[in-house]
Amino acid sequence: MWALNDQTILKESVDAYNKDHPDQKITLRMFANDDYKQKLRVAFGANQAPDLFFNWGGGALDDYVKAGKVKAVTDAQVDLLRFTPSVLKSATFDGETYGVPANGLAPVVLYYNKKVLKDAGVEPPKTYAGLLAAVKKLKGDGVIPISLAANSKWPTLMYLEYLLDRVGGSDVFDRIAGGDPSGWKDPAVTGAATRLQELAGAGAFGDNASSVNYDQGASTALLYTGKAGMELMGTWEYANLVKAAPDFAKKNLGYVAFPSLSGGKGDPKDIVGNPSNFLSLNAASKNKSAALTYLKDYVMNGDQVDAYLAAGSVPPVNGLDSKLAAVKSDDKSWLAFVYKLVQDSPNFQLSWDQALPSDQADPLLTNVDKSFLRQIKPEEFGANMYKAAQ
Amino acid sequence: MSTATAPRRTLTAVTTLRRTVTGGATFVWTALVVVPVYWLVVTSLRGSTDFTTASPLAPPAHPTLDNYRTVLDGGFTTYLLNSVVVTAAAVAITVVVALMAAFSIVRHTNRWSRLTFRLYLLGLAIPLQAVIIPVYLLIIRMHMYDSLLAIVLPSAAFALPVTVMILVSFLRDVPRSLFEAMVVDGAGDWRMLFSLAAPLARPALMTVAVYDGLQVWNGFLFPLILTQSGDKAVLPLALTLFRGQFGIDVPATMAAVVLSTLPMLVVFVLARRQLVAGLTAGFSK
Amino acid sequence: MATVVRTSRPVVSHRARPGAARGGRRRRFSGLLMAAPALLLFGLFGLVPLVGVLVLSLARWDGLGSVGWAGLANWTGVLGDGATWQALWLTLKVMVVSWLVQTPLALATGVFQAPRGRLRALFAVLWFLPLLLSAVAIGLTWQALLDPSFGIGATPGLHWLAQPLLGSPDLALYTVIFVIAWQFTPFHALLYQAGIRQIPVSLHEAAAIDGAGPVTRFLRITLPQLKYTFVTSSTLMLVGSLTYFDLIFVLSGGTGGPGTATRVLPLAMYITGFQAHDMGRASAIATLLVVFGLALSLLTTRLSGFTRMDSQQEGL
Repeated sequence: MWALNDQTILKESVDAYNKDHPDQKITLRMFANDDYKQKLRVAFGANQAPDLFFNWGGGALDDYVKAGKVKAVTDAQVDLLRFTPSVLKSATFDGETYGVPANGLAPVVLYYNKKVLKDAGVEPPKTYAGLLAAVKKLKGDGVIPISLAANSKWPTLMYLEYLLDRVGGSDVFDRIAGGDPSGWKDPAVTGAATRLQELAGAGAFGDNASSVNYDQGASTALLYTGKAGMELMGTWEYANLVKAAPDFAKKNLGYVAFPSLSGGKGDPKDIVGNPSNFLSLNAASKNKSAALTYLKDYVMNGDQVDAYLAAGSVPPVNGLDSKLAAVKSDDKSWLAFVYKLVQDSPNFQLSWDQALPSDQADPLLTNVDKSFLRQIKPEEFGANMYKAAQ
Repeated sequence: MSTATAPRRTLTAVTTLRRTVTGGATFVWTALVVVPVYWLVVTSLRGSTDFTTASPLAPPAHPTLDNYRTVLDGGFTTYLLNSVVVTAAAVAITVVVALMAAFSIVRHTNRWSRLTFRLYLLGLAIPLQAVIIPVYLLIIRMHMYDSLLAIVLPSAAFALPVTVMILVSFLRDVPRSLFEAMVVDGAGDWRMLFSLAAPLARPALMTVAVYDGLQVWNGFLFPLILTQSGDKAVLPLALTLFRGQFGIDVPATMAAVVLSTLPMLVVFVLARRQLVAGLTAGFSK
Repeated sequence: MATVVRTSRPVVSHRARPGAARGGRRRRFSGLLMAAPALLLFGLFGLVPLVGVLVLSLARWDGLGSVGWAGLANWTGVLGDGATWQALWLTLKVMVVSWLVQTPLALATGVFQAPRGRLRALFAVLWFLPLLLSAVAIGLTWQALLDPSFGIGATPGLHWLAQPLLGSPDLALYTVIFVIAWQFTPFHALLYQAGIRQIPVSLHEAAAIDGAGPVTRFLRITLPQLKYTFVTSSTLMLVGSLTYFDLIFVLSGGTGGPGTATRVLPLAMYITGFQAHDMGRASAIATLLVVFGLALSLLTTRLSGFTRMDSQQEGL
């Protein structure tokens, strides 16, 4: 089985399985984020792919499904009904489900440094206009308003995802993901790109964001060292912050949903991010029954749900209210925040670079970056993507 | 008298100016080279809090070897061993095979040997990035994907052109009469190769071995594309793995960089002359 | 045939004896046998892929399924794409600017290192340091070092370095070229050092007796004598610049960014092939790279006689 680094809880469940099944052990191999997808592709191409593989669902998984490389799983096999339906959507194609959620819910939220915001006299922004105003004040205060690892490109994409949803609603990207490239020509796409450039132009990300690389942890460090006021990032950042700066996480870390946009068509409760990661089954696997046993009995079982909650992450399963109420750790309010955010959201959009087929991921990220750097005009973003999607 | 001192004074002025410029330039260049290396070492000794708060060039307030422990616990020895195996195997194959080819080219001056020589010349001009896709396909078809052999064979193949060229140019300078004398003695090609050419070419063999070794040791593209598992990773690839793994932890990544450089440092200290000769192998005869 | 004719002639040398004729055939055979392993290895992984890349450039292959025929679609796609031409332009730019930066630096440091002496030897050792690091190690180090928030720019007095050196589309390429120079200048300095040490001391002595100053001697003696070193070093720099892949890959986080500001041809090939999984199109880009490399080496060979088969005494 293959997974990403730092999936400690996943590793524990594999260890538990191996303890119970000493005759048929699962070997777990872990990879760095950047290389993982490419390695997986190559391994499938070389017919050396693992039995179970970690993925993000969406278009990338659909590529494998279309190539006949993935086996669908049924409720009888792995008990699908226990998972949050909006999450399973990312791994469902043509009515069949091709994976089991295997990670905490990962919507993207806006983190902030309470002390920095307080010193500048800024309230955590609830609206886009409020965000712009906060940017102006923080900038005047000499801090970077929002920490952004633009060098990695995908953190910038998160802004466009949210902005498009707020401007045009969730239908616009649904059309695109459904295989209709003309969705890129929707005026809302230009509207979103315009607002991204507006933020960048207002100095929201400081002068050096384009050099900040997420993998080097610099954007995270900017937030907890107080050099920046806010950061838009997935829920995994919470664990990073707790690990790197426990004191900060306890006293000065705040978080809110992405601001709403007045006049926009989107529901302000919509969220974007990674509904979850999935574990999918290789169609050529020789150990199917063992793999299914693992998926059914060891993924998101009672122990694992508790482990995720203890680690400050909300697992994608139904009926968590009582468990959440019983949590006693410092993470309680965070967990409740994430759970409510997801439960209340009418739409949970999978991040675009995962939702689209893999041959569009690079043009997407490149054009997002160019848009952020203001190398292309807002209207060119949609036009370029339309061309790339042809 | 005065006519004699005037030019001498201008001469000293020029000399002083030259010395100042040289000294200044030497200082700047040394700083440019040394400061990053110094920073690398110092950072690898910092704790992660120290890293975000301390002045980057100040010595660490509380030097720690924790980062090195993290790296060593992270499978460093496996990567080191893989690198050593891959480099040794590739160099051995290249040097032996290239010596035979070079000998054959030098001793048999016919149409065929000229053609093969030109093939290697052509090979010098092929950037290995350009053929990585077919090589990748080939390795998959040969069922060698994700094995150390998948790095060894292409690396050896791409080291051949330059190795053959250097050895040919060396063997060409061996006086013809030495070979002729052995022919008169009734020696065949193989005996000439082993008892004459190989011993004579020892310095050249040393330098090409070092040169090829460096290329393979530092090679990144073949391991990147032709292997996938952690237990098959060689050092340069492992560095990028560490980066992904430690993410937030720059000091640990820098410790991995330092550790990956230590073997070369050892070679440098023990055999600087051979290393320098190998680096500039054949290019500065 | 030839042997028959020869044996019928009066014996003039040992070569023409019947026994030696058999030996000649055996010799030819052993010569072939000796050349065979190298040819096999190089043929399989060097020449076959060279043809393969051309064939694949006419194919459709996503790295997952089977290989299909695409005709000229990849080529029209690649040649009609502005990104290809930009990548080609960037490759040329890196090549030429690197050469312009590294040559004077390497010459200067080489000249400084060449005379024997304790102090100069010490500097030579320090300047050698970059050669001990792999391209990946150098890339990771510089990427972290140039981080505007926690890198060198955070040092008091060096805040002017806290700039998006790798992040600004205008600066990134030059930063990359600088790091390339950091990596490779010491190597070329060694070449020049070796070249200088080979200049006969008598030339300098004679000139000194004639009253030539150090500058004159440098311009009149050292530089002309370094002609072949110059050619060798330049050839290696130009041809080698096609292979700066590793460093740029690491410095730009594998994307050739910001935007596409550092996406040179090899990187464009890698991203097309191994990230967007369009192997056919990537092969077309790779073919461009082959043509580029061959043209370059043909040009430098013409200009320098670098690869002459006969006397290797001066150049190689």
